[in-house]
Amino acid sequence: MKGKGSLLRWFWPLVAVAVLVALPAILPRYQLRLVNEALIFSLFAVSYNLLLGYAGLLSFGHAMFFGVGAYTTGLLAGKGAAMPFFGALALATLVTTLVGFAVGVLLLRVRGTPFALLTLAFNALFYAIAIKWSDLTGGDDGLKLFRPAIDVGITQLNTNAHSVFYYITLLVVGVTLLYCWYFTRTSMGRTVLLMRENEERLRFVGYNTSVSRLILFTFTGSLAGMAGSFYALFFSFVSLEAISIDMTTRVLLMTFIGGTGHFLGPVLGAGVYIYLQDFLSDLTDRWPLIMGVLFILIVLFAPGGLSGIIRSATGFFVRQDNAKG
Amino acid sequence: MQEVAVYFLHGLAYAGLLFLVSSGLTLVFGMMNVLNFAHASFYMLGAYFAYSLLVYTGNFWLALVVSPMALFVLGALVERFLLRKVHELGHLHELLLTFGLAYIIQEGVKWLWGTNPQAMAIPSFLAEGVNIFGVTYPVYRLFVFGLAVALGLLMALALYTTRVGIIVRAAVDDHDMVSALGIRVPLVFMGVFAFGAALSGFAGVIAGPLLTVFPGMAHTILVDAFVVIVVGGMGSLGGAVLASFIIGELQSFGVILFPKFSLALIYMLMALVLVVRPEGLFGERQ
Repeated sequence: MKGKGSLLRWFWPLVAVAVLVALPAILPRYQLRLVNEALIFSLFAVSYNLLLGYAGLLSFGHAMFFGVGAYTTGLLAGKGAAMPFFGALALATLVTTLVGFAVGVLLLRVRGTPFALLTLAFNALFYAIAIKWSDLTGGDDGLKLFRPAIDVGITQLNTNAHSVFYYITLLVVGVTLLYCWYFTRTSMGRTVLLMRENEERLRFVGYNTSVSRLILFTFTGSLAGMAGSFYALFFSFVSLEAISIDMTTRVLLMTFIGGTGHFLGPVLGAGVYIYLQDFLSDLTDRWPLIMGVLFILIVLFAPGGLSGIIRSATGFFVRQDNAKG
Repeated sequence: MQEVAVYFLHGLAYAGLLFLVSSGLTLVFGMMNVLNFAHASFYMLGAYFAYSLLVYTGNFWLALVVSPMALFVLGALVERFLLRKVHELGHLHELLLTFGLAYIIQEGVKWLWGTNPQAMAIPSFLAEGVNIFGVTYPVYRLFVFGLAVALGLLMALALYTTRVGIIVRAAVDDHDMVSALGIRVPLVFMGVFAFGAALSGFAGVIAGPLLTVFPGMAHTILVDAFVVIVVGGMGSLGGAVLASFIIGELQSFGVILFPKFSLALIYMLMALVLVVRPEGLFGERQ
């Protein structure tokens, strides 16, 4: 890849970054909030796709990490607690990482359908805990929280300003997504792909696939936790919805609508989902039904999702990744 | 002591429902290797169809017969035109399809019937109480359990004595071999899937008067049915019987013994079984 090829390769990503940076100056406040929400769900969906698309592990429990991240943030930035912005974010991610590790250890032995079932059960368990432990989580009332301001030497950044929060989201989520992309290129990321294709052979060659799976599971858990933390800060509120099976359904739909075969598929899916939701919920209360039908149509007729459609239509959608065999 | 007896009977009634739902689920899984997330949605649809039939005709027995028949047809259509289409894409897609289907049915039910729980009336002689163990116990719960046992026995009889039953059991074990013997396995699949849907719908009809009819009823029993087939062993009908009994009683006694943890109890059981004995009590080690 030399000359024109490598230049072209950087052209579209740079345009995308430039547009994203310029958005607060262009878009009205409401639209900017939508983009912000889509960014947060992009991270959630990408983390989910590392499991589903890359490792071939169908989890119905991703909301438990999202929810744990959200609730931890809610407690750290809630009434009486004065945690700094990034402190709350980092600690929430750390807590989720630990939870992910603990759950991952228990899940190590199973794969396939039992894995899907067990993740569903764990999600339900976390949901039950969130309901029952209402002293901590606020139960049905949820948790209200405040976005902490950020100290930058002489002055403070007001994170309640939409553009400030947007830029923080863009920066942190952007860097994390870049790292995820890098992760898929590392030997560890490659191992995950091979594991999906032929785990037995990989074990035979001498890889400890259980450890790889545990690392991947923990990693995606902490990413989902970070997304959950942002979600809590974004809405300044955490409810049971964050940890419910509905949230898992949502990320599953986003990921699959966008397409599991491309790294950016879930990002596209999150964007489409958020905008479609915004558009449809104005028209009808039955918008989840439309989402469900869209999902089924994609499962039936376009298993590669929207990114698969775009790829086959133009063969142009960024450089191809071999995430999907 | 009387209380224990009452809760035991409560558990039996729920175990009966669970068995009707999970027996179809476990047969379909054993045969097609597809965990059908929409299976409990058939249960819910069965209840809602029956509810509407009751509203328009007022005849419970009619609902009890017509509603499962409708689900038999629906199940056959789902298998023939949806599930079979994604079969070649692999298990993941089959799982996702049934998951999406469950989601659509859930939203569709909310749309057509609303989100409020609906009560279903039952024939007056079933609404009475009967004296057992010195307490008055509702006849209807005994009726539910009795129906489940009767259907279970019929199913066992059909599976173990008739030719169709033998083919179905053989297909659960090794459908390639059955296919090689010249039997139209896709037709068997469709039949079993439709039969499972009808059975699930039947359970929904008789569950309606007991637990009311509401959009969350599918999810509630789905998780329990999953636990049943994990504990009993996927594909094992005998396992489904025993596990339904265990889960039914656990749900019933869990509420009084550990009110704080009753929700979590069942998940912990499932996690325990999957970690200690992943193939379940009666499942075959793969």
